[in-house]
Amino acid sequence: MSFHIEAITVLLNGLQQGAIYILLAVGLSIILGTLKFVNFAHGALYLIGTYAGLLIALEVNLTSGQLQAWGFGQLGLGLGYIPALLIVPFVVFVVGLAMERWVVEPFKDRPDTDQILVTFGLAIIVQELFRAFFGSSSLPFSQPSWAQGPPQVPFLAAIPISSWRYYVIGITAVLVLIVYLLVEFTDFGLVVRAGTRDPEMVELLGIRLSRPYIVVFGIGAALAGVAGVVGGPLNPVNPTIGNEILVPAFLTVVIGGVGSIAGAVLGGVLFGVTQAVLVATYSAWAQVGLYAIAAIVLLVRPQGLLGEAEVAP
Amino acid sequence: MSDEPAAATDGETGGSFADTVGIWMPRGDELRVMTATAVVLAVFPFVFSRMPVVSDLLQGYQSLATLILIWGIFALGFDLLLGYTGLLSFGHAAFWGGAAYAAGVFSQHVSGSPILMVLAGTVFAVLLAWFLGFLSLRRGGIYFAILTLAFAQMMFYMSSSPLAFITGGENGFTGVETAELFGLFPLESELPLVLETLLGTWLYAFVAVIALLCVALGYRILHSPYGMVFRAIRENEQRAEFVGLNVWRYRLMSFIISGFFAGVAGSLFVIHGTYVPLSSLYWTTSGEVVIMTVLGGTGSLFGPVVGAGVYLYVENIVSGGHPFEFVAPFWHLILGLVFVVTIWVFPRGIWGFFRDVRDYVTGGED
Repeated sequence: MSFHIEAITVLLNGLQQGAIYILLAVGLSIILGTLKFVNFAHGALYLIGTYAGLLIALEVNLTSGQLQAWGFGQLGLGLGYIPALLIVPFVVFVVGLAMERWVVEPFKDRPDTDQILVTFGLAIIVQELFRAFFGSSSLPFSQPSWAQGPPQVPFLAAIPISSWRYYVIGITAVLVLIVYLLVEFTDFGLVVRAGTRDPEMVELLGIRLSRPYIVVFGIGAALAGVAGVVGGPLNPVNPTIGNEILVPAFLTVVIGGVGSIAGAVLGGVLFGVTQAVLVATYSAWAQVGLYAIAAIVLLVRPQGLLGEAEVAP
Repeated sequence: MSDEPAAATDGETGGSFADTVGIWMPRGDELRVMTATAVVLAVFPFVFSRMPVVSDLLQGYQSLATLILIWGIFALGFDLLLGYTGLLSFGHAAFWGGAAYAAGVFSQHVSGSPILMVLAGTVFAVLLAWFLGFLSLRRGGIYFAILTLAFAQMMFYMSSSPLAFITGGENGFTGVETAELFGLFPLESELPLVLETLLGTWLYAFVAVIALLCVALGYRILHSPYGMVFRAIRENEQRAEFVGLNVWRYRLMSFIISGFFAGVAGSLFVIHGTYVPLSSLYWTTSGEVVIMTVLGGTGSLFGPVVGAGVYLYVENIVSGGHPFEFVAPFWHLILGLVFVVTIWVFPRGIWGFFRDVRDYVTGGED
């Protein structure tokens, strides 16, 4: 394999890993920016997305857990990946709405620490529920057969990367663009941005902020759900994946700058590519590298790469 | 609060000799609190693991009693930060695990004396807390939680592979060589005479003495003017800043102090287990101490210790089966549920709940 093919492979792998971070970080970032709510349960939404996607797309044989003990060892609809990609965002969107209504709303006036604690507790509950019902062993979530090999396009066919990774990058790009356009160029986005600046004034003008806010939370949740579906087939699926991905996702938000979609994208790409490059070169340092970058960025620019100092609460 | 500082200024008669002795003298309520703590520490292992009827019901055992004290010290220190200064750290695993590794490596290469091991681990934890606190406190509020979490994870990944030649990587650190206490008493041997029934092993006695000292230190700090500043910062950061207090410095100090307690506990943990698992640096360890502290009750000295006891009891006894077969596989889920309910309904935790009940029964307010 020549050097430039290898370099492109690493880069694309990095972009794909970054795409997962971006999907999670954009959701976290808009929620943090507008609602001023720290969601430690964002990884749990990713987890829900992954399991929902798995059960819609494939049929699974459970080897442990209560469902297997009760005789539901064979689960799943087996509808394929496209229906999963379409249904899961709605499922997780609804979960997000419910969470906004029954968790975020009651904790709006409580201290930040209480918000973090309650969502952290919820994350544990969700993880343990999945462990109880589906068992703690990893479930197989293979990439779809039509996306396993390299794409049959003249140039890309030479690069040993499954088409699924291109789809992940493509889907992320489209969704993030949609969210960006929604926030920047629609009336809905205008209300949300105005509410971020001065919620009191917006409400004085007779605009109810609770509705756009709940939708923002739902969108953030749905993005995490999509991340779960597209990221699921790339890693082993078990109940701890949600809390494992939470930390890098949060760091992506922090180094990108809270509330900035462009920042989340930049942070995600930076993280993904760094990680891929380190895995290919000094693999022992791959994880440490992420945190080192985060530390350096925060020392030099505490508000994040593209963050504005005053947006931060 | 019932134990507000009760005129902690007696004994200030001047003179350098009196001052030197003075700081070691109990002030205010300290004597009462210390005596009560000492009595509880002395009977706890007996009641928990050897008393005829009670211990059969509880299913407790000696080593768990020691472990509860160790985590109790950790949670006590954590509460100085969360409950008093109002900072939520998700990175205390770095100090707990860091101290455990430091004490373990120290025992292998320098000396296995338990006292020196605790000293080495604690010094490491304090220096680390200084450094990480300096970095994490650059951003306040929610960022603090995320940053401490991030730096602790960095420690975890550091010891999992780049530093594996020291730490043992995934397998954890296995080379711990603990020597006898004072060069005389092996820690796992039984105490003489009646102490054996009461306390059990030298290890427990060692941990209990340190726990007592930690309680004394924590109580002294919280009831000193210095500790009042911590509370002032939690109540109103801006006002504290306006009266001329350097909020940033007090926060850093509070972080370091709580890192100190985590370091003591982490070092004791390696002495107790003679092994450092890699997971002691993982962020779930930070999560555990958060749960213990909140469950027991933030903003009180003993609440977190109670929380540690409850958590470890559920983790080790309830999960094990016998009287609890039905719920055993779901112990973690149950803890999560109880934790969320606690934050939602009883933000003051178990300790706060009992305090409210006591106030209600006696008709007295705080």
